[in-house]
Amino acid sequence: MSEPALFLILLGAPLVVALLAAAGPAAPRPVAVLTGLLALGSLGVALRLAARVVAGSVPTWGPGELFRVDALSAVLVVCVAFVSALALGLGPGGGHESPREVRRFRIFASLFAFTMLVAVTTNNVAVMWVAIEATTITSALLVPLHVSRASVEASWKYILIGSVGIALAFVGTVLAYFDFVTVAGPQESALHWTILMAAAPALHPPAMQLAFVFLLVGYGTKAGLAPMHTWLPDAHAEAPAALSAMMSGVLLAVALYAIVRWKAVVNLAVDGPLPDGLLTGLGLLSVAIAALSLLGQRHYKRLLAYSSIEHTGLMCVGLALGPLGVFAAMLHLINHTAAKSMMFLLSGRIRERYGTADIRHVSGLLRTMPVTGGLFAAGTLALVGLPPFGIFLSKLAMLRAGFATGHAWLMAAVLGLLAVAFVAFVGHLNRMLYGAPPDGVATGETGRWALVPLAACALALVWLGLVLPAPVETLLDRIVEITTR
Amino acid sequence: MDGLFPQLSMLGSSLVLIASFLLLWRRGIPAYVDAFTLQSLALGATTALVGYFTGNRELYLVAALLIGIKGVGIPVLLRRMANRFGSGREVPPYVNIATSLLVGGLLVLLAYIVMRPVVQLSQLPTRAGMPLAMGVVFVSLFVIISRKHALTQVIGFLMLENGIALLAVLGTYGIPLIVEIGVFLDVMMGFLVMQIFVYQIHETFQSLDVEQLNRLRR
Repeated sequence: MSEPALFLILLGAPLVVALLAAAGPAAPRPVAVLTGLLALGSLGVALRLAARVVAGSVPTWGPGELFRVDALSAVLVVCVAFVSALALGLGPGGGHESPREVRRFRIFASLFAFTMLVAVTTNNVAVMWVAIEATTITSALLVPLHVSRASVEASWKYILIGSVGIALAFVGTVLAYFDFVTVAGPQESALHWTILMAAAPALHPPAMQLAFVFLLVGYGTKAGLAPMHTWLPDAHAEAPAALSAMMSGVLLAVALYAIVRWKAVVNLAVDGPLPDGLLTGLGLLSVAIAALSLLGQRHYKRLLAYSSIEHTGLMCVGLALGPLGVFAAMLHLINHTAAKSMMFLLSGRIRERYGTADIRHVSGLLRTMPVTGGLFAAGTLALVGLPPFGIFLSKLAMLRAGFATGHAWLMAAVLGLLAVAFVAFVGHLNRMLYGAPPDGVATGETGRWALVPLAACALALVWLGLVLPAPVETLLDRIVEITTR
Repeated sequence: MDGLFPQLSMLGSSLVLIASFLLLWRRGIPAYVDAFTLQSLALGATTALVGYFTGNRELYLVAALLIGIKGVGIPVLLRRMANRFGSGREVPPYVNIATSLLVGGLLVLLAYIVMRPVVQLSQLPTRAGMPLAMGVVFVSLFVIISRKHALTQVIGFLMLENGIALLAVLGTYGIPLIVEIGVFLDVMMGFLVMQIFVYQIHETFQSLDVEQLNRLRR
């Protein structure tokens, strides 16, 4: 397949899904089947693009190479397409939504997927900003799929804090462009990442440092970094399960992707300790706040949301730890995407059965839903970083990077906080898995076919924990190469 | 600061900043909408001015979009919402008027401090206004944080966007047009979605006081 065709299918399929859902409420069955096929098609194309990148090429498309997929984009493209296919196939929640809700979910979830795919495939950092801002708009509309006081409150916090944060990222983008213009004069393609990277060594440290502060705070708000994280637990907990999976599994990763892109530019322009220091500080703060919030949590979707804050913080710390740290952070990103999207989709099944998101009212999960409960347990153990799951390896690599770059105290603090998170998480899990199920909760799995893709996620996590597949390693090595020059 | 262009651009930037101070000084949604309208018109005029002196025709288009969308269209929608949701009186904010103005002044000072090393890099005749644009950003952030009314927060957000647009036009003579159009689309869509949520909040809570939105603590 030619490169333009690959890009067209990748970006076009979600748009077709949105149109189909908008136009075809009359024939729900065929629309559902087509939706699944198109989402899988988008995923297949994403894998082919990634395969080309592994083979050494850098696919581009559009006027002035507006779209460009290097190794960093390739990893994100596969993650986004994978989680979107999972969410569109299994969403929106436990399976008891009205046809109107399903239709609304398909329209906006696929537009949401489209905006994320544009954000990670465009070569232009301003178009990336436009796309990430659009992710807030498309996803916020889905948070109150069932209108209630809690969901309206959560969506207001999300759109207000998200929009303000993303606006601050635009201040950073403008400051960086300002500096580029003072050095090289105005150019139509000046905001292309490739051109910025080439000009970066000549850019001025004061301007780029200020720009990075705004970019990190701005995109960090979307990524759920503390202290800008306050919207995240509310939005993730109130959104329908499949949307939570997309938001937590890949939206955070997309925001982190923007930070990685900009950090590569800033690294070339700024010699001082400010960028790494800021990343480490905000990252550590996020891990700390998340770990402590996990302890007294009573709501299992909020538990997962705080765990996302913890993992984002961890990845930010990793990004500041040199080449090995970047390698570990990106590997962590892949693992976290698989684990968290599976967990949120499982939480939708649990909520459907127990009718509550309160941990105190969920017990005997292994008896009522053996497979869902088993997978939930596996996912929890993966998230806290036990072997044989992939997150164990990426955390280990991060610690090695920390000690190798002389950050022993930082790593000790991280380890301590991870231990707190571990105890909290496993304690909650015990309460949910065992004991007698509450009265009136039925026993036995329903919608078994939906468990197949979720089990595949768990298997992928184990696989990534046992070996580092060669294509993944190639991609990660190349990411390190292009971002830590 | 010699010559007509620097002086006029400084005048325009000052007007944009003063408009955001009106938000701290006056009370009531209609007054805020007036302030926002004034700010958008001043921003549009400044953009057209930069277009005139630099000969950049694209900026006329941007100015026309600014005046049309932010100077006319959005204020009409804001007024309609303000009328629909009652008297337009606002719950007392967390911070009183005198303190707000003082904080606003300090924020502009802060904007001068952080922008000083950046402004020195530039040779453009418009550079003196850049700290004022950053001041608009900071003051708008303060408005969003310190107010309890959903509509006031929306207006604060719109003013924040105006501050960024001013920064872009003063510092770079405008970002590339394709980006500018994308930004306009986002602003419009974002505003419309916020409008939907404002209606939803009013319907579910019978009030636009976001103080009531505190069910989801922890």
